[in-house]
Amino acid sequence: MMHSVFILAGKDIRLLLRDKAGFFFTFFFPLIYASFFGMIFSGIGSGKALSAIEVAVVDEDNSEGSRAFIAKLEASEELKVNLMNRAKAEDAVRRGKGGAAYVILGENFGVEADCVFFGGKPSIEVGIDPARGAEGAMLEGLLARHLYANAQESLLDKNKMSGMIDDSLDNLAESEDVNPLTKATMQAFLPALRAFIETTPTEDLNKIGGATPASIERAEIKRDRTGQPNSSFEITFPQGIAWGVLGCTAAFGLSLVIERTNGTLVRLRMTPVGVMRILAGKMLACFVTTLGMIILLLLFSMIVFKVRPDSYALLLLAAGAVCVCFSGLMLFLSTLGKTEQAAGSIAWAVLLIMAMIGGGMVPVVFMPGFMKAISIISPVRWGIVALEGAIWRNYSAGEMFTPIAVLIGVGILFFGLGMRTFRWSK
Amino acid sequence: MAILQLIGLRKAFGDITAVDGLTFTIERGEVFGLLGPNGAGKTTTVNMAIGLLSPDAGDVELVSLGSPTNPAVRSKIGVAPQALSLYEELSGEENVRFFGGMFGLKGQCLRERVARSLEFVGLMDRAKDRAGTYSGGMKRRLNLAIAIVHNPPLLILDEPTVGVDPQSRNAIFENIEALRADGCTVVYTTHYMEEAQRLCDRVGIIDKGKLLALDTVSALIDAHGGRSVVRIEDSRGKRAIETDDPVAALTKAQQADGLIRFEVDRPDLERVFLNLTGKQLRD
Repeated sequence: MMHSVFILAGKDIRLLLRDKAGFFFTFFFPLIYASFFGMIFSGIGSGKALSAIEVAVVDEDNSEGSRAFIAKLEASEELKVNLMNRAKAEDAVRRGKGGAAYVILGENFGVEADCVFFGGKPSIEVGIDPARGAEGAMLEGLLARHLYANAQESLLDKNKMSGMIDDSLDNLAESEDVNPLTKATMQAFLPALRAFIETTPTEDLNKIGGATPASIERAEIKRDRTGQPNSSFEITFPQGIAWGVLGCTAAFGLSLVIERTNGTLVRLRMTPVGVMRILAGKMLACFVTTLGMIILLLLFSMIVFKVRPDSYALLLLAAGAVCVCFSGLMLFLSTLGKTEQAAGSIAWAVLLIMAMIGGGMVPVVFMPGFMKAISIISPVRWGIVALEGAIWRNYSAGEMFTPIAVLIGVGILFFGLGMRTFRWSK
Repeated sequence: MAILQLIGLRKAFGDITAVDGLTFTIERGEVFGLLGPNGAGKTTTVNMAIGLLSPDAGDVELVSLGSPTNPAVRSKIGVAPQALSLYEELSGEENVRFFGGMFGLKGQCLRERVARSLEFVGLMDRAKDRAGTYSGGMKRRLNLAIAIVHNPPLLILDEPTVGVDPQSRNAIFENIEALRADGCTVVYTTHYMEEAQRLCDRVGIIDKGKLLALDTVSALIDAHGGRSVVRIEDSRGKRAIETDDPVAALTKAQQADGLIRFEVDRPDLERVFLNLTGKQLRD
């Protein structure tokens, strides 16, 4: 009995492999999807962590000091700097395409940044995207830190310090709106400070409080990744697998309709093989192809992107349950349309809705509360949960029971509905 | 000796009665032609004969084996449907091998039967090519190869020469004659009366679900073909004479008026068909 089922399944798999479009959407599209979005979310290629704040920086001073300050910003792990002119920077942030904010270093920035004691007030204009206020506030803090670090370096550089005191004394002398007492005090203090710095060894200067106002040490913390993805690929590959599963479901569902319209289904029914075995062959083909696709994607993710599942046994179980679920669904969908166009449209409409609400497009974790609640009706969600449970959620066998049971139950339900509808439409 | 018996078959689809009390027997080793206008009930009859449809009333029996609704009985029947039921992405050989497997053939037996079937229909040299690349005639022959791969004693061919060129049609005729010579029983449905007249030992004509006539071709012509028409042109002009003895009519015309030109329109199966089913268009 199984001989004919295997022959039927072999024929269907061969037909799929010879259909270029079907082969692409079954095997390559999910691979491209998972790899592409995995790389985007992991920040590969940008050279910066995903958390870096993107800012548009405008250098209107174009001095040695402004260029040095921008170099510091560019070297910062927390920032991703895009240099551009003022008009472009303002427009980019206004349109939400230039990052969280623009930072404009005004004219004389370099000179004013060096006048630490008097006359210096480096001009920085910051425009923040209203939708990204929190990142803007962080940016202001980062700018303040870099400005302070700039001043700190100057205080510890004897030559630079001496020049800065000279510049400040010159500014003070030229200034007419300073309180005379203050002016006299500063004119006495700054030369004394220069004398002090020139006579004090550099290593002693480093010990003076204020030059290093706080000693902040960053401790190396190894994060506990239990129940959390180690990389974005652990999220995107289950999603990619979901798309591959949908592709298989649609392809095999459509193949049954094609058999009907081409007359080969009638011819099959003229053979001694019964309807049950014909459908079993179709489901076996769908099951094997879907499983093959899942294994291919997982192997690719493990070899190329170092994805390491928490449990291989549970992963195999989850993959099997996904295959059962969508093989049953395939059978049901194949009975819904009489023509290829109708069946294809109905199948993809149903599958896309399942993907949309089930986390195939936007991960469930990023969905608003009501969407999360709705997503439980989608088999795609349970498929992703089962795969993630075995890959990174660190599910126990007991925790895996619910998604596995739902998937198998849905598969059996749709198989029954498909059989019933198929007999009616016979 | 009968191979297939259809007894009192009745089948309705809603208010339309497609087959209405059809009874006839097909003899072992004969080529049986089943003729009828569109909507006469041929396809419904064939579908009940091969077990695809269950009759509302009556019985179909493959003699000594039982009803074709039984899968084991169905394996004794080969069917070449009118619609080309092929997998175009598979090669000719893969198509035949697949359906051979569906009939339970395997291993060496399957390989031999596949090769023999393809050889029989003259497709061996294109066996490895995809069926989608075949011409219409080659597809028809492949359709036949699939139907005979399991060496069935009863073969049902539904319009097997639709849309093929004269060479392929002739090849199919020769295939059918060879099958008959091997003892295979063939049920042949067609709209081409000359095909039925050439190939069929007996012909059944049905219309509106009922059997109108069933006999050998010559007996049907004798019974329902009417008289021959002799068209003569002589010194008196042109005229047509209906007669049972065209030779006598021609001799008489030759002797009387100096025959210039003549044409004899003998009754044939087409005239039988039109006489029985009428000339009204069927859609």
